[in-house]
Amino acid sequence: MKSVTKAALVCTTAMIGSAAAAETYTIGITQNNVGVDSYQTTYEKAFIAAAEANADVEVVVLDAGGDVARQIAQMEDLIQQEVDAIIIWPTNGEAVIPAVRKAHQADIPVVVTNSNIAEAGFDFVASFSGPDNITQGIRSAEIMCDKFKEMGIENEAKVVHITGQPGYTTAIERAKGFNDRLPEVCPNVEQIDQQPGDWNREKSQQVMEAFLVKYDDIDGVYAGDDNMGVGALNAAKAAGREGIIFVGATNFAVGYEAMAAGEYWGSIYQSPVDDAEAALKTAIDLLNGEELPFLNYFDTPKITQDNMDEFTKPVF
Amino acid sequence: MAELTKKSIGGLLARQGILVAFVLFMIGFAIANERFLAVDNVFGVIRSSAILGVMALGVTFVVIGGNLDLSVGSMMSFSTIVVLDLHDKIGPTMAIPAMFAMTLCLGAFIGFLVGYLKLNSLIVTLGMLSAIHGLTLTYSGGKNMDIADKEGTWFSVFGQGSVAGIPVPIVMFVVLAIILSIILTRTPFGRKVYAVGGNGTAATFSGIPRARVVFMTYMISAFCVATAGLIQASRSLGSQNTVGQGMELEVLAAVILGGASLLGGSGTVFKTVIGVLILGFIQNGLLLVGLEFYVQYVVTWVIIILAVWLDIAAKRGRLLSPIA
Repeated sequence: MKSVTKAALVCTTAMIGSAAAAETYTIGITQNNVGVDSYQTTYEKAFIAAAEANADVEVVVLDAGGDVARQIAQMEDLIQQEVDAIIIWPTNGEAVIPAVRKAHQADIPVVVTNSNIAEAGFDFVASFSGPDNITQGIRSAEIMCDKFKEMGIENEAKVVHITGQPGYTTAIERAKGFNDRLPEVCPNVEQIDQQPGDWNREKSQQVMEAFLVKYDDIDGVYAGDDNMGVGALNAAKAAGREGIIFVGATNFAVGYEAMAAGEYWGSIYQSPVDDAEAALKTAIDLLNGEELPFLNYFDTPKITQDNMDEFTKPVF
Repeated sequence: MAELTKKSIGGLLARQGILVAFVLFMIGFAIANERFLAVDNVFGVIRSSAILGVMALGVTFVVIGGNLDLSVGSMMSFSTIVVLDLHDKIGPTMAIPAMFAMTLCLGAFIGFLVGYLKLNSLIVTLGMLSAIHGLTLTYSGGKNMDIADKEGTWFSVFGQGSVAGIPVPIVMFVVLAIILSIILTRTPFGRKVYAVGGNGTAATFSGIPRARVVFMTYMISAFCVATAGLIQASRSLGSQNTVGQGMELEVLAAVILGGASLLGGSGTVFKTVIGVLILGFIQNGLLLVGLEFYVQYVVTWVIIILAVWLDIAAKRGRLLSPIA
């Protein structure tokens, strides 16, 4: 309800604004589910802040509350309002395609943010702005391998892998990036098991407990995000197993803290602020007629205990 | 004499079919992986199962009383988030009773709707499932909750401590199971729960205050959920908003696997414990055997069906019983 009021307010301001200055772009955004997690909450704040900082842009900020039907209705509203561009954070990669096509047919460029829609809809998308999850998996493999080399165990180390929820594109892409890259950089490191932790810290802790029972020798753990990585770390600490190298992705505050405590080796830094600013910039660049790659990734750098000082602690 | 022995074995099978099934699975997994029965693994599994188990104890009361409780998953998320948040604000000594009070209020509300307004428990608790989820999200502002000082708090004792070598979650699970089992079998209140669930009309004519009994079953359920939330929060000292999501179905599965009838009037605390352990050990056993996880979903289902079938077959004294 709150976001609807806010949206209406922004919307009114947008109309007044566009009457005053003809050069101003109006950009609408329909988000996935603000308020359900800190990443999305921070994303929205950062998006609004970035738009306010730019005098040439007015934004209409909407939130689908995780509901596909509501998101489709919001897309139609934005088309009716004749905004200059639409940014969508899809609630569902398949179901929103018809709405995206409708916007495309109305000559409104659509930018997909954070998680891409299904390939069948690519023709109707002007650009995708978001993290490159395959690269994230690749970088995690490199972080792990570099650490093994530093420790001199790159020829015998054994790794277990905890993935995100089966079926999620993010989970699949990160796992693929890691599984493809690790044998390239560290051909003698063996991945001895891979099981899903469902993005859930508790589930991941249980999976890791079973791994610790099953394998006497584990040198590294790769988890699809830090939430699961910290769950695995808790399991290892409870079992008194030391010296395991933990590498995650999407650096969470808990992961950052565990790195500061020297218990967790590294992760991938993915900032919701960068994500939001990249989406807005992509839309503005498109409207300014710039040529953009279809997959317009923002950078998600490696973060380890060695360079963590360069990064601020994540807010989520 | 031989006759008597045979009879008593048959009787045991009929009464404890689920236990027999459980022992069979344990033997099967133990053969597949020798580490399965290692002490640390067994303790590990029971400790992880304790959270689900504590919740299942409470739901056993609700189900025996002839109702359902689908709200326990999101209620557990609520308890976990609340106690973690209050831990840093008012300290653990105050946070724990405050969290219990808030969770019991939710239980009282559900108990009032089902017991005194006589609303369908499936609808009420299904609604509460999402209502409490929304409440948790509102309370936390969508953020993950984490305790700031993870090393320096005694709060970790409930999830990570141990008493005489036994992890505290197991101790809490066992103690709660014993207390609730005594309440269910040795007190007038326990017999009233069976009476209300078994035959409500007869219970009314016997002068049993049905509404109050149903209300109390939901209070017990909420108390158990709060305990589970406490263990969960203490185990990881931080949590997502969605930590209990989907657990309501696992809890129900454990209770039904233990042989409690969804129609009410039957079930025991002991059998629910066995149901919980079966689910816990299946999950752990499949991980140890190293099956691919897509296969695990299917195998889990097969094992549950086998367990239920063995239980029913033992009760009926024959393997096949066509509908006729």
